Amino acid sequence: MRATAEREEARAARLMAAPALAGLALFLALPFALAVGLSFTDLRLGAPRPPTFVGLAQYAGALADPRFQRALVNNLVFAAVVVPVQTACALGLALLLHGRLRGRALYRAAFFLPVVFPMALVAVLWTLLYAPGPEGPVNRALSLLTLGRWSPRDFLHDPAWALPAIMAVSVWQGVGFQMVILLAGLQGIPRRLHEAAALDGAGPLRRFLHVTLPGLRNPLAFTALVTTVLAFRLFDQVRIMTRGGPAGATTTAVHEIFETAYVRGQLARASAMTVIFFLAVLGITLAQRRLAAHRRWEA
Amino acid sequence: MGGAAGRFPRLAGAALLLAAALAAAGCGRGAPEAALTVWAHAGRAAEREALQAQVARWNAAHPEGRVALTLLPEGAYGSQVQAAALAGELPDVLELDGPYVASYAWQGHLRPLDGLLPPSVVDDLVPSVRAQGTWRGRLYAVAQFDSGLALWARRSALAAVGARIPAHPREAWTAAEFERVLAALAARDTDGAVLDLKLNWRGEWYTYGFSPLLVSAGGGLLDRRRRRAAGVLDGPASVAAMRAVQGWIRAGYVDPNLDDAAFVQGRVALSWSGHWDWPRYRAAWGEDLALVPLPDLGRGSRTGQGSWAWGVTTRARDPALAARFLAFLLQPEAVLAMTRANGAVPATRAALARSAVHAPGGPLHLYAVQLTGGWAVPRPPTPAYPVITSAFQQAFADIRDGVDPRAALARAARLIDEEIEANAGYR
Repeated sequence: MRATAEREEARAARLMAAPALAGLALFLALPFALAVGLSFTDLRLGAPRPPTFVGLAQYAGALADPRFQRALVNNLVFAAVVVPVQTACALGLALLLHGRLRGRALYRAAFFLPVVFPMALVAVLWTLLYAPGPEGPVNRALSLLTLGRWSPRDFLHDPAWALPAIMAVSVWQGVGFQMVILLAGLQGIPRRLHEAAALDGAGPLRRFLHVTLPGLRNPLAFTALVTTVLAFRLFDQVRIMTRGGPAGATTTAVHEIFETAYVRGQLARASAMTVIFFLAVLGITLAQRRLAAHRRWEA
Repeated sequence: MGGAAGRFPRLAGAALLLAAALAAAGCGRGAPEAALTVWAHAGRAAEREALQAQVARWNAAHPEGRVALTLLPEGAYGSQVQAAALAGELPDVLELDGPYVASYAWQGHLRPLDGLLPPSVVDDLVPSVRAQGTWRGRLYAVAQFDSGLALWARRSALAAVGARIPAHPREAWTAAEFERVLAALAARDTDGAVLDLKLNWRGEWYTYGFSPLLVSAGGGLLDRRRRRAAGVLDGPASVAAMRAVQGWIRAGYVDPNLDDAAFVQGRVALSWSGHWDWPRYRAAWGEDLALVPLPDLGRGSRTGQGSWAWGVTTRARDPALAARFLAFLLQPEAVLAMTRANGAVPATRAALARSAVHAPGGPLHLYAVQLTGGWAVPRPPTPAYPVITSAFQQAFADIRDGVDPRAALARAARLIDEEIEANAGYR
């Protein structure tokens, strides 16, 4: 009796998952398989000559391209900074807004608002905010905050400042999304745990370390993973604000792949870059997952 | 980070593109009674209406050769045409962007127009447009209009610093003179930024607006005879030209112009731009507006050119009829109706002679001089153009950000030559 019900349930599950799985196969697995195939050829967009097999030449070319190397490094740096900073900011905001605060709903909406804006709009607005010279709003704000000791910069055209500037925009735009997830996680921690800890004489810091953080383990792992994946997909801000400049300081793997495929028409080279990039991201997410699983077991 | 919202604009864009490509392909097939199918880019309203009016006139006069016009959005025009070409769904007559003529011809989508168009029609075209439409000695595309590039200036600002105002490319400011003018203007300016290079535009503008400077200095994008970029694009002359531009930026003469209003608001006295700014600038400055040739970096002033052009595809069912339609578009009335609508420079001598603003003494006469007198350089008519322009744009952006021009141009030259080699010289 029970076995039949389970089998029925499994069948229904398969049936319901079928459309999504078919979509994934058609729009993700199949194109990726094609990209792997193309990466061994010299196919170009619109070239009248039939493509020929070139072995691993596209991979060698892509890996030897300093711009692509720079792009991969930039992606790593971006993820290494943005994931912890954005998660920490989101946690801080969630803690603030979890407490009893006047106008809490208003603050929550305000911090979530940037998530609703399209990235293209955010990028254009921030390009204006980062305007060079003492008249640029960000320059002016920094000058006020430092009592005039700040010398104005051209953020998006300064090799040292361009990537941090894009990081700041990304954190500002994305932090609200994680905040909401962490806020839900906070609300899921039973009050009695906090009360019991308080009765046992734990102060706010110890309650945070031993009640709040363990309670947020899963939401934190989830947001870190999602932010990592989004960090590697970085493109919109870069395309609109810097086009990868100055001198490659903000270019990313996706931006280089886009330039190669759709601007220069080198489809095969772009396919090889895609495969390299996919393997790199796969490796990092697997490592991250193993790390998270390991920690859970320890606890 | 991108957040959940970041993903949707691109997905939606891709879906729209696909839908548009499908719709376009459908239209190509779905007009059985039309003798000619024609695709064009949907420009600004005035331009679009001018073309539609011309098609209506043709249809009224030639009921046996009825034209079905399909307008495609400009932003994705190139990719839609590429998609249609792959699917074998190209129309009889195709509008295309000038620098891409060679690329389409090499891909085998365009039919040579020699012998199809009457010689009188071809001879009437201004040389710049003929150069743009020619690949390997054969004419593949013609155009109703060409573009004009020069410096817009405020006469009063130049007079205030005692600068002479050149009216002919022969009299163009030399590099040293141009820098003296900039310095003098900057000395009287509050923030010292007196020149607008439209650095806010990026993309194709960089190649269109600044590759003529390379030629003016004795360099260029490509060695036409050897079909290689190395030695020319990264040669001493091109490097010197880009050093000059970098020098203007470093000296603080260039307004970043994030709002595209530097000239209109009077923040700068000089604006490096094209004919399309004429209505806006005239409205802002009226009689004080002057058109000045680009500076001469040693081998004479050089300027950009090129715009939308018309070709007959290899899939055309009746090439002779298609050619007659093109000849109709090149009649002076049709050309003038179009240039009045979009502000561009008429591309036939007959129409140019009848355009008052381009006539001697007219406010845009310099454009006519530049295009008919050989002062304008076409962007290299080669199938490698998409790669050439991408590489140069990146090099220019890097140079703007302070990278050594020699290194930036060397990288661009290497990218271009690799591509030419990989395609076996496009034989």
